[in-house]
Parts: sequence; structure tokens; C-alpha cells
Amino acid sequence: MTDNRITVDALTLGYGKQTVLNALSLPIARGKVTVLAGPNGCGKSTLLRAIRRLHRPASGRILLEEIDIAKLGHKDMARQIGLLTQSPSAPEDMTVEELVRLGRYPHQTLLQPWSAEDGRAIDKAMAGTGVAHLRERALGSLSGGQLQRVWIAMVLAQESDIICLDEPVNHLDMAHQIDCLNLVSQLNAEFGRTVVLVLHDLNLAARHADRLVFIKDGRVEAAGTPETLMHEDMIRNVFGVHSKVITDPVHGRPMCIPIGTAPWRKMVPVSDT
Amino acid sequence: MTRARTAPVLIPALLAAATLLALAGVAFGSTWIPIENVAMVLVGLGDATQSLIVLQLRLPRVVIAILAGGAVALAGYLLQRVTRNELASPSVLGVVDGAALGVVIFLAAFSNESNALILPIAFQPLAAAIGALAAIALVFVLAGQQAASAIRLLLFGIAVAAVAKALTTVLMLIGPIYRTNQAARWIAGAVNEISWSEIVIVAAALVPLVILTVAAARKLPPADLDEISARSVGLDLPVFRILIFILAALLTAAGVAFAGGIGFVGLMAPHLARLALGRGVYTGLIGSFVLGAMMLVGADLIVRVAFAPVEVPAGTVTAIIGAPYFLFLLMRKQRNDG
Repeated sequence: MTDNRITVDALTLGYGKQTVLNALSLPIARGKVTVLAGPNGCGKSTLLRAIRRLHRPASGRILLEEIDIAKLGHKDMARQIGLLTQSPSAPEDMTVEELVRLGRYPHQTLLQPWSAEDGRAIDKAMAGTGVAHLRERALGSLSGGQLQRVWIAMVLAQESDIICLDEPVNHLDMAHQIDCLNLVSQLNAEFGRTVVLVLHDLNLAARHADRLVFIKDGRVEAAGTPETLMHEDMIRNVFGVHSKVITDPVHGRPMCIPIGTAPWRKMVPVSDT
Repeated sequence: MTRARTAPVLIPALLAAATLLALAGVAFGSTWIPIENVAMVLVGLGDATQSLIVLQLRLPRVVIAILAGGAVALAGYLLQRVTRNELASPSVLGVVDGAALGVVIFLAAFSNESNALILPIAFQPLAAAIGALAAIALVFVLAGQQAASAIRLLLFGIAVAAVAKALTTVLMLIGPIYRTNQAARWIAGAVNEISWSEIVIVAAALVPLVILTVAAARKLPPADLDEISARSVGLDLPVFRILIFILAALLTAAGVAFAGGIGFVGLMAPHLARLALGRGVYTGLIGSFVLGAMMLVGADLIVRVAFAPVEVPAGTVTAIIGAPYFLFLLMRKQRNDG
């Protein structure tokens, strides 16, 4: 057994003729929080979805433990990796409990449609995200913060030991951002889940990451602890931003204060993939 | 959730109402046969004349109305679920007109001069199925990359339906006159003049399709999610959606093969079932089937009582009620989206 839960091996992938990931290799450690960061369009979301096998690679492979994901069944994948995408959608008249129950779909079979184990898992997921009191409510009646927690509850109910979240705190206010990421850290600490996050907020990334991965132009530019990675030259190189990095007086993590874009950096249209 | 809890009461009530309607469908007609006499005939104790009327004339049209209305409603339920759009239905997506075209081509190509089919009538559902599948495949190919967008799918469906309808009209105009009449009545959706042998063909086609529908039902709830989320919980949604479209096309073909182009049952029945019974998959399927059956039996009853002795196709009644219903849904949707 290696220490790597996921191994991305020379992965090349694109949409049409445009290459998004270019021979990207990345080991992802078991039981750690790994944060993928980088400028818009660098391929971080694409990488996250490729790990969940939502994109077909042009070349290269992705291993879970020692097994190529290309060889896994749909439900087998879903029992190992839970993914929350950036803008998930479900019918507005669906209730909170109905949505969270869908997280149990990969555990169900024709002969065993719903078990006590499934019921226990959804109760636990709803309690952990603080949405148990909303279970009968329709999704359309929830606030943005509540809805996001319900979606996370669905992913937790899946009880996969890898959890991938794509910009989970986008559109959330400050209080909900903190709650949401603390919940993720707690899941990692208490249950040893392997967590992979895409975050564009560098300071949130630095606070929650065991390991930070900077991606630029479809390649891994640098990977390591936030302390080793977050320095001014690196941030200028990856993001094209002049900044000052200080130590966060509360958490002791590095903290980046952006000053301005580098004068030599030309603005080119970017597409956020 | 509250609506889901009413299902155990509502479904038996619906079934009881459907049974009464079916009995009324046998009792009413050019001569009134009291319900108790109908019951006597059904258990084999009626007199000869009434037995003939009930067993050979009226019961077949009630039974085909139940099967056809139910099958088309099931197809509509499946389509509304996987497209996440309450406006989807076999007629809106071009499946009914595709089936109609298949049948009209079949009638035109395989009749001889003396107005007789040169192939067994059992091939008619096959022709309907080929037409229905061709229509839905065409909708998918045209929608291409945009097939995930329910609205695009509906627009291409409406376009394919229009083309199929036009081709059907052309075929009828240039075809032999004796076939034209028959085809016109079929297209409008008439359940009279159905024989038991045709019912057996429809039932034989429906049994495996209904079993497949029940087997697929378990996968419908995750199909309510967006594509990425559905795939994340382990449902290969693009593949599943295609399978459901094929299943819906075949159910529609089996339903309309002999009963004809019954309009809007596949839109209204599943929609009302969802309003009354909520999101539950099995209750939704049962509710759709029963409501669809009731609509067609009821429509046939109306044309028999209101327009006798002229035989107006039952499909005209469902279309007259269904078209405004569709417009109502469309306008409501527009308001919600705007």
C-alpha cells in the first residue's frame, strides 16, 4: 500500500483541439487535504473532474491505489469518490431528504433498494452538515448557504473515502464559507477522508490545505505545503500578481496580500473551465 | 412529501374511479346495458345479444383505450422525468407523428388493389415502432451536443413532428383512396373497430416494456440531477437517457399502433399524476398509467354519447382538452423563467 490514494500519471486531456491538461502528473496523499489552485482556465476544475472520470483522457492514466480508474464500474467509482461540482442542480420541488438519499444510490442494488445502513448514513450526513431540521423542506425554499450544505450532505452520504469539492464556498457569505471549510477539515481529521478541493481564494487555500498544488497552463507548477509554496516570486509567476506574503497572526499560515497585477502581464481573454 | 403520504389513499381511489369509468364505458352506447347485466356477461351469464355487444363491440374498445392511454402516459412520464421538463411528451417530441408515419407507410406499401394487407396485421406495431424510434433518433441527432438541453430537445421534437406530419399528409393524398380514410381515422386516434386479436398483439408488446419500465424506475431519481451530479453518484446519465428515450418510443408505438394518434394523453396524465402524487417514482408510474387509461376511456365515452351515431375519433377529444393544457403549461413556464 502506497501513501498515495490517487496518482495522476502523465494526463493529457482537452476539449476539441484545445489542450487543457498537458502531461500532468500529480500524486495525491491519503488522508490529507489537497488544494488545487491557479488562475482562471488553468485546468484545475478539469483535473478534478478527470479524477472523477467525467472526462476521457487523450493519454495518460489515473490510478486509485494501484487500479486504473478506466477499469472501474460506475457505482464502484461512486463508492470511492464523491464529487460536488460548481453549480449542481436538482428540481426545486425535491425535498432535502430526497436529495441526500441520492447519495446512497451507488450502494443500492436491484435486490437491496434501501437498507438500514443507508438510513443511518443519510441521518449522519444531515446531522454533520446541520441540515437535519430541513429534511422535509423543498430545495427551492432554501437559502444559498443552506442549499450548499445540503449538497455537501449528499456527497457525505455517499461515504466515499475520497471527497472532491469544486469551489465549494463560491457564492457563500463569510460565515458559511468558514462553516463549510471547517466541516471539510473536520471530516478529514476525524474520519481520515482524503479531500481534494479546488479553491481560487489563496488565503482560504493556505489555511485549509495540508498540501497546496499550483496549476498553470495545464501543468503542475509547484506542489508542497502552503509554507513552502506561498512566497512572492511564486505568486507572481503563477498568478501574475504583485503581492506581499505575511504570516496570518491567528492561524500561523501564510497569507497573501495582493498589491497589483504585474505591469508586463498582458490581459488576454481567459475562459474559466 | 405531504403529497407522497396521500398516495396510499389516492391510488386506490383512482383505481376505483377507473374501474367505474371502464364499466360505464361498456354500459353506455347506442343501447344502454345496465351495469348488473354487464357484470353478468363478464362472468359468463348474460344473454346472447348483450354478450355480443359487450364482448365483441364495447369491451375491446375499452380495453384498447386502457392499454393505449396507459402506455402513452407511461412514455410521457419517463420523458418528463429524464428531460426534467413537464412539457415533454411523446407527441411533443415527435414520437407519435413518427409512429403515424411508420403506420401510413406500412399501409401504403403493403396493401394490394383489393384493399387487403399482404402482411399480417401484427406487423403494424412494428412499423409504428420503427417510425417512433426513427423520430426520436432524428431528434437526438439534430440536437447533437445540445441534447442535454431540454428546451432544445423539445424544439427539435416539434420540428421533427411537423416534418413527419407533412410526409404523412403527402402519403395520404397520393395513396389509394380506400386507405386514406382508414389512415385519417387512425391518425386522429380512434379506438372503435378494434378486434381481440389486435389487443393480444398490443398486450404482448406491452408486458416486456412495462417490466423494463419498472426495472428502470429505480434509476429515475438520480436522473433528476444535472449530468455531472448524476454521474458522480454512479448513474451514467447520457446512456441512461438514451435507453429511456428508446423505451418511451417503444411504449408509445405499442400504445398507438392500433389506437392511433391519441393527442396529449402522454402530456396531461403524467403531469396530473405528479401534481396529485408527488415525486415518488412508483406511485408516479402507477398514477400516470391509470390516469392515461381513464382519459382515453373517458374520451371514447364522450364521443360515443355526445356524437352518436357519428363515430368521432376519441383522439379529437383528448386533443381538444390537451392543447389548451399544453398552452397553459407553456405560459406558466414562461412566467416562471422570466
